[in-house]
Amino acid sequence: MAVKRDVLVIGAGLAGMRAALEAKARGAQVTVLSKVHPVRSHSGAAQGGINAAIRPEDNWENHWFDVVKGSDYLCDQDAAEILCKEAAENIYELDRMGCLWTRDEKGNIAQRPFGGQGYARTCYIADMTGHFIQHTLYEQMIKNDIEVFEEWYAVSLVTANGHCTGAVALSILEGRLEYFQAKATILATGGYARTYRTTSNAIANTGDGVAMAFRAGAPLEDMEFMQFHPTGLYGVGILVTEGARGEGAYLLNGQGERFMKRYAPEKMELAPRDITSRAIQTEIDEGRGIDGKPCVHLDLRHLGEKRILERLPQITSLAKSFVGVDPVKAPIPIQPTAHYSMGGVATDIDGQSPMPGLFAAGECACVSVHGANRLGGNSLLETVVYGRRAGRAAAAFSKKATAADGGDETLRREEAFISGLLKREAGESVARLRTELGDTMTAKVGIFRNGPDMAAAVQKIRELKKRYSGILVGNGDRVFNVALIEALELGSLLDVAECIAIGAVTRTESRGAHSRRDHLTRDDANWLKHSRFRKQGDEVALEYRPVRITKFPPQERKY
Amino acid sequence: MVEAKVKVFRKSTKDPKAHLDVFHVDVRPAQTVLDVLHSVLYEKDPTLSFRRSCRSAICGSCAMRINGRSRLACNTQALELVERDGHLLIEPLKNLRVVKDLAVDMSGFWKPLKAVKPSLIEPKDPPKVSKPIPGREFDNLKIVGDCIMCSACLSECTVKEVDSSYLGPAALAKAYRFVGDPRDAATKSRLELYSRHGGIWDCDTCLMCNEVCPMGVKPLDAILRMREAAIEHGLVDNSGARHALAFAATVERTGRLNEARTAIGSLGSGFFAPGNLSITARAFLKGKRPRLTSHRLKGHKDVMRLIEIVKAPRRSP
Repeated sequence: MAVKRDVLVIGAGLAGMRAALEAKARGAQVTVLSKVHPVRSHSGAAQGGINAAIRPEDNWENHWFDVVKGSDYLCDQDAAEILCKEAAENIYELDRMGCLWTRDEKGNIAQRPFGGQGYARTCYIADMTGHFIQHTLYEQMIKNDIEVFEEWYAVSLVTANGHCTGAVALSILEGRLEYFQAKATILATGGYARTYRTTSNAIANTGDGVAMAFRAGAPLEDMEFMQFHPTGLYGVGILVTEGARGEGAYLLNGQGERFMKRYAPEKMELAPRDITSRAIQTEIDEGRGIDGKPCVHLDLRHLGEKRILERLPQITSLAKSFVGVDPVKAPIPIQPTAHYSMGGVATDIDGQSPMPGLFAAGECACVSVHGANRLGGNSLLETVVYGRRAGRAAAAFSKKATAADGGDETLRREEAFISGLLKREAGESVARLRTELGDTMTAKVGIFRNGPDMAAAVQKIRELKKRYSGILVGNGDRVFNVALIEALELGSLLDVAECIAIGAVTRTESRGAHSRRDHLTRDDANWLKHSRFRKQGDEVALEYRPVRITKFPPQERKY
Repeated sequence: MVEAKVKVFRKSTKDPKAHLDVFHVDVRPAQTVLDVLHSVLYEKDPTLSFRRSCRSAICGSCAMRINGRSRLACNTQALELVERDGHLLIEPLKNLRVVKDLAVDMSGFWKPLKAVKPSLIEPKDPPKVSKPIPGREFDNLKIVGDCIMCSACLSECTVKEVDSSYLGPAALAKAYRFVGDPRDAATKSRLELYSRHGGIWDCDTCLMCNEVCPMGVKPLDAILRMREAAIEHGLVDNSGARHALAFAATVERTGRLNEARTAIGSLGSGFFAPGNLSITARAFLKGKRPRLTSHRLKGHKDVMRLIEIVKAPRRSP
């Protein structure tokens, strides 16, 4: 028995919840599916803050320029304009919903400086900004009585005549599949940095929505641009917020040197993330890590105990729990960590994909507001600004559309696939394949890249895809089958990783987070364009789309 | 590296009798209990079920009982516990139904949370930006706002164990998030709601919630602040508030607790209900005969000084 709704939202982090609230406010019947409970979503792990020009001395046009420059001129400038222009009203709206904001001495919403920006415009609450916004939006979900299917894992979009008409999802608790028919479907499934071995991302960030869109025939965009956050906890990759450097923390190499002066003399520790991560990796590669280990130090000690505990309580406790370091007393060992997916499902400025009926918002979408490198504090902003826009557009779309059927075939196909996995008695381990994938991506499609390595990565991923067809779940139970979910997630990771690697090996330039040793400079003549990825049989077909430049002509990018 | 004995609670529809499976797992320094569970899942037994996601102590998925105490698996160092106790014992959270193995039915957590009306009720014409919340009030809200809804507190709650209608520590901490928020326009009606059966007065102040919370939320402190606020709002027509007031009144009178007067004061006319009378009669026969009058304590003056300090208007630090 299919569930029939106007708007189906898949994923319940910030973008998904904001989209659902907006669609419902505009009169649509809304259902939300999420493989984790909404408050478990990874938006809650965002620490440092959310950007908005809200001071009289600042203005949204400055923010806009910072975004465009930070993106290495690859973002679509009209999309970035909307992001910056609508920022302030979204901050105030969250305040009215009950979100807490840290205030300054005058009682205004406090702002801290973040990388690559000309003004301290990152609003925050301590170092738990994502957490507080996430719980605020969840409160609004309860207040507005929005239907949520918690712990339902979407396995496939359903299409009819090239339109998206909903999705088939698996109940994790019960093990049964259901067709969720919808006139408009919004993907809000987050990023896919779990393709990498060392990552700040949650175990759940496996790019399921992006992979589903790709398989259904919708184009992906700019997949080669993966952001490495400069400061992941050494060994585990867990995020240490840019807010630490915003508060004044230093980066020190094994010789105790503030090495950023050699890479970004003006911005120092507050250079954009791509530049800072490359600087750290260079120090490590050239033997200036800490005691020969692949890490450098993030030193907070001079900030003093009071400020550290007040502004950065979460990272203090994370450093204690995971690397045994009290940041009040000792520097934190850190290394760059795969963090944010600039690419995703291609959308317009209303979150609509080229496939009618399919929308995307947040990290799983590529609008594109971040281009080749996202600035810190803009991901939370994108979730609320574009979550809202996607919700509005999807509600409007659903009023005109008539839901076509077409779920039965998808349902049968997915059921056959899953019951096949559950029955299989021998095969290769999912964990082993996933480890090989992560090692390949980190080693060969990482911070510094080159043609031969990336070509080898593409071959390796194709080999892993072949081996994937013979994987073993090893658990035949339908109820809460973690091994089954991990097997399905690995399928997403492989599809997404193939696009990342193909996009990266093809783009013969260095731009933003995509940095090639064999093509050192940006090449606007040939590569000032978005990559688009479409599934063609078992192949990935590449197309290109021009960048929308409405105000700022590309310049050399220096900090 | 140490080979650790890991005992894991198991239960499923196929194997409905709860039991412990024992695994021998190599545990390295710096590995967490979640790492150990992954070793079991990937190398020993793919049928194991448990929740987790962020593995950095913010999503709240992986709370479970580890060596007898509810906590997050992802930020609990495994080796420390193995060295202390000689093994790991991993069980599901208490006070929630087990779905499979370590995965519990969280609806028992979300239902009471939703029952406290957990969203800000705006005043009619809210300003563009709300007024800043003063220091200590803000800190109190920030602390309850830190809650990651992992249900470790509900698992250890000694009231929930005997009374399923109790809202529980996390839901009440969430309630305080709005009672304590000067922007909220419904403080009194909230306090009325929370003063009902299953609410703030049903907590037995055992402190377990404060003790086990991995985020330092201190739900008990929030509950006690709401009790004070409820009395300040004149919401005293319930046995919980009456008990508190009667308790205080007897101490004020003589410097010590008078159990008989407290009981009568708490129950009001309900004291004479047949059920209560029979309890009283049985207690009386068993020799429990609290006196209605008691002598004023020698140090009554000192007690009164303490009471005055407690009653004095609070100053912000």
